[in-house]
Amino acid sequence: MTATQVRAPDGLGAGESTPARRRRAKPPRSRRTWREQLTGWGFVLPASVIVVGLSVFPAGWAFVISRQKADLISPAENVGWDNYRLILDDPNALEAAKHTLLFTALFVPTSIVAGILLAVALNRPLRFQWFYRTCIFVPFVASAAATGILANFVFDPTYGIADNLLRVLGLPQQGFLEDPNQAMAVLVLICLWGEVGFNVVIYLAALQSIPNDVVEAAVVDGAGPISVFRYVTMPELAPVTVFTAIWQTITALQLFDLVYTTTKGQPGDATVTIVYYLYRQAFELFHAGYGSALAYCVFAVTMVFTGLLVWYARRSGTEAF
Amino acid sequence: MRRPSRLTAALAVLALTTLAACSSGSDHSGTTAVTTLDPDKDVTITWWTGQDSEADELLQKLADEYTADHPNVTIDLSPGADTTDDLLQKLQAGFASGDYPDVSYTYGSWASVLGKSGRTLDISDQVAQPDAGWDEFPEAARATATVDGQVIGLPAVVDNLGLIYNTELFDEAGLDYPTDDWTWDDFRAAAKALTDPSKNQFGTAYPTDGGEDTVWRFWPQVWQNGGDVLDDDGMPAFNSQAGVDALEYWRELAVDDQSVYLDQTDQKFEPNFYAGHIGMLISGPWVLYDLKSHKTPYAVAELPGTDGSHQTISGPDLWTLYDHDDSQRAAATFDFINWLTQPAQDVRWNLAYGNLPLRSSAADTPEFAQYGKDYPGADVFFKNLENATTPRPTVVGYTAMSRAVGSAISDVLRGDGDPQDKLDEAADAAKIDLQ
Repeated sequence: MTATQVRAPDGLGAGESTPARRRRAKPPRSRRTWREQLTGWGFVLPASVIVVGLSVFPAGWAFVISRQKADLISPAENVGWDNYRLILDDPNALEAAKHTLLFTALFVPTSIVAGILLAVALNRPLRFQWFYRTCIFVPFVASAAATGILANFVFDPTYGIADNLLRVLGLPQQGFLEDPNQAMAVLVLICLWGEVGFNVVIYLAALQSIPNDVVEAAVVDGAGPISVFRYVTMPELAPVTVFTAIWQTITALQLFDLVYTTTKGQPGDATVTIVYYLYRQAFELFHAGYGSALAYCVFAVTMVFTGLLVWYARRSGTEAF
Repeated sequence: MRRPSRLTAALAVLALTTLAACSSGSDHSGTTAVTTLDPDKDVTITWWTGQDSEADELLQKLADEYTADHPNVTIDLSPGADTTDDLLQKLQAGFASGDYPDVSYTYGSWASVLGKSGRTLDISDQVAQPDAGWDEFPEAARATATVDGQVIGLPAVVDNLGLIYNTELFDEAGLDYPTDDWTWDDFRAAAKALTDPSKNQFGTAYPTDGGEDTVWRFWPQVWQNGGDVLDDDGMPAFNSQAGVDALEYWRELAVDDQSVYLDQTDQKFEPNFYAGHIGMLISGPWVLYDLKSHKTPYAVAELPGTDGSHQTISGPDLWTLYDHDDSQRAAATFDFINWLTQPAQDVRWNLAYGNLPLRSSAADTPEFAQYGKDYPGADVFFKNLENATTPRPTVVGYTAMSRAVGSAISDVLRGDGDPQDKLDEAADAAKIDLQ
């Protein structure tokens, strides 16, 4: 294709002169030597090897295992799609999936709303602003294992600080992580504490990239703070929100480490999430084939969720990716 | 990505292991003959200890001592994994890639699965030699090391469950100390008397995380009641009247009396006992070291009994030996591990760590007398090995069954469900894996 004439950009009115002819310098095909190609491959090869070796290849093998009756120790036996069929008849897998969806439904919207509110608050000129920002971000840097162990102490129904606080306030004592009706909600709370810092940082960056003149123009036109937030800030944050929603959904669907370090699925398996369930199957009960099949289902669901969000974002004109 | 997701990690481990399982393909069937060690042929053996650095230093010293006496043997020692729990995954990956050690520390509960791998050495003939002293190991430990008639390793740690009580709390409550004639009724009465909600003080504790720690402390009472875990066909028998009675007993303590500190994390009940919040703890010799460092006023008795039976349970761990189609390596590995478990070495390793001696012959050593003084109650635990008459089942489906029973016990102790119904459900769930 040879570009002989550059099309006038949209918006240029009739009568304006067409831009001068530009000849785009394009290297002749012959100059792209094998040497250049090799150099190019040389640059991408190390990363490719890592990606293929540590992600694509293991994923492929996990698929092979998912069609086997395997414990990873004794010789495996091919069983076709039996492991996948078993999932459909496994009430515990269904329960675990429900717990994961409940967690996702509670966690993702809350983390986004909390992230926006905190970011807006921290975007104002405040004394000790750096201190508040650090406070919010530190839990995100702490490992989930540390967060979980800490939470165990805070929410211990007998000796924990949370119940002590309730006692001081004259409120009834709670079971928290040991009450089947509260455990999931408490997990959401712990996870929010750890993850909200990430959203805050993302939204702070987005808020600071909103041009001041747009805001000022809105104010000049008579918009109050709420209207500015509703009609200027919110639309500007939409692309970022698509990103945080996808990110936090993946975090929520793959929730494992917090469960592992706090409840181990207890009480009464009320906090067994799907990834914790597949870990238990593959590594505690020696059902590696079944565990792999579950992992592939989680992968498929995550893909669908992400695809739907991207599709929705594109349809509504929000370019996030 | 910020944290490598667990899912990716799990997929990676799964994939790596299959890769090797497919590629190496060669069938090890545990057939390498374990001959005697040839002193003129150099050999290197790899040893995964599964211990932390402090314990590793001790073991390294013992390994150095052995190699000084056997200059042709080199011992390549490493923990093998970050935690003992992780060793199994490392072994799975090792089997897959063909790069696994000659000997590793393993939990007793893994023995049946490892035995099925076809990668373990069969040392049945070696331990049958009169000078091997196989009979000096506790019966439960020997049973755990034997899978389908093949001996795959030697005991590494032996233990059992006893009753540890806080003498100060007993004195405060004006209670008599537990004796060897104690029944579970005595235990219940004491637990009730020791419970004081105003001080957050509990009579006893039970871990309800639903794991094996929840389950194995339940079996002794089933046995004492005349029941068993599995029947002769290897199918669940724990939902018999004996099992239901045992679970109902604990339900009454936990739900009716509220005298049990239920710990669903399995991490807090022992520290709470050390701190004096709990009157009685059913536990083993592994807490003696911590009790000593926390200066908890305690004493040890055997488990309360039923109709004169004070049966307990032993959860031995093993040094499992692996086959590399190399008789010299096999011979060196067995010779070294056999040497390690002899009293002269064992007293410097297990006893130094507060563990029980592996062999009954170690009881005659001066170190054992000192050990009894260093760790009060250790002698009770040693004597209590005689009460560990029934071995924990070593069938492949045990782990899955344990998970089902663990959930049943945890649910009932939390006040959710009836013992008979819950144990029946667990038995049904366990059948799939036991078949």
